[in-house]
Amino acid sequence: MANVKKIVMDPLSDNNPITVQMLGICSALAVTVQLKTAFTMSIAVTAVLSCSNLIISLLRNVIPPKIRMIVEMVVIASLVIVVDQILQAFAYEVSKELSVFVGLIITNCIVMGRAEAFAMSNPPKESFLDGVGNGLGYSAVLLTVAFLREVIGSGTIFGLKILPESYPGNGLMVIAPGAFVIIGLLIWAQRTITKKYEDA
Amino acid sequence: MQKDDLNTIKFAGIVCLACSMALAGVKGSLNGIQIRNAEMDRQVNILKALNPSFSPDGTALTEEQQDEYFLNAGVPKEWIPQYFDEFVTIETENLPEGVPSIEPGQAPEIYKLSNPEGELVAVGFYAEGKGLWSTVKSYVGLEPDLETIRGVTFFGHKETPGLGGECSKPWFQKNFQGKKLGENGEPLPFEVVKGKAPEGATSQVDGMSGATITGNGIERFLNKIYRSYNQDVFVAMRGATEE
Repeated sequence: MANVKKIVMDPLSDNNPITVQMLGICSALAVTVQLKTAFTMSIAVTAVLSCSNLIISLLRNVIPPKIRMIVEMVVIASLVIVVDQILQAFAYEVSKELSVFVGLIITNCIVMGRAEAFAMSNPPKESFLDGVGNGLGYSAVLLTVAFLREVIGSGTIFGLKILPESYPGNGLMVIAPGAFVIIGLLIWAQRTITKKYEDA
Repeated sequence: MQKDDLNTIKFAGIVCLACSMALAGVKGSLNGIQIRNAEMDRQVNILKALNPSFSPDGTALTEEQQDEYFLNAGVPKEWIPQYFDEFVTIETENLPEGVPSIEPGQAPEIYKLSNPEGELVAVGFYAEGKGLWSTVKSYVGLEPDLETIRGVTFFGHKETPGLGGECSKPWFQKNFQGKKLGENGEPLPFEVVKGKAPEGATSQVDGMSGATITGNGIERFLNKIYRSYNQDVFVAMRGATEE
């Protein structure tokens, strides 16, 4: 049991894919202008990550080593396309706003990274949980960044005005550099708390 | 060694086959819903431009309700097909050369909205042009005078959110209502100004701060496309109603 807890909880903070491993930064910059898109993206990535970990783990003993990465890629790409199709059918508005970034989950290093680093050498249940944990870790950062950007940038939460009408909005938060600043601050805060530093 | 290679190829084949079957299955079962979504989305945009002042069952809408349905929250889903079945006619005949259509290669269309009494209340057309980063798509709805803007919508672009992306926001689109693209049958130089439009201006709208290029792009394509429609279609339509 302790093991399960560690697998799921570790990526939330101590081994967070974005703030510690520095993976998946691109989408964290691109889809965090609003909470709505960040939320959808979080669900999409978590779903892809846990399913791809599960499938790869099930196949881990039969995948010929020579084509290991290609097979991982095919599995991930197929899952991403499925997610994209589902979004287009049932969440059309959000899928329009996310546009290419759903497709780009394929190139999100977290997904490939977990497949290689964890699913290839662990049983299905643990791999699935590792996917969920890393997905949640990614989501936590994404939602924090999106929350700050939406509130500071346009004074809204999930599109609802929470700051007075007179609040003019902050242009920096709406564009990508704003996300760099916030992610930078998050990483700083997180490393100060967990006392995990990289040796220069 | 050779047996190994054969197994690898076999495995790759099976994976490819399984994945393609799965994807084909998903696409096949969702395709219908997706096409309906896209069509509905297009119709909503046309309705935003035509800005009907009545609901499909014939009751009048107040101006607040119109803003609610066609600017802010969105029109109730079941209304969309009803409007298009009963009140909107789509024409593709005798439209000018070179005006854009939403799908490349498809014939351009104009949309005529009649009220429950059968009177023409709005005429809409599709327009598009370059913003800063991308093509901005738009439907423009005109009053029956074919000069005054009744409603407008900008969509399908990749302008910077918060700057040029503001063109899809209600405040910006509202700002076009009642402004004139033409006067006495002649096109006016319509302008998206920098900052606020002067009080009482008839053919100038407020610009978006930090998005001059997007604003200029919108100004340019609205003027250009209105000019084409005016000279080839609207002149004839005005003539027909006067007789």
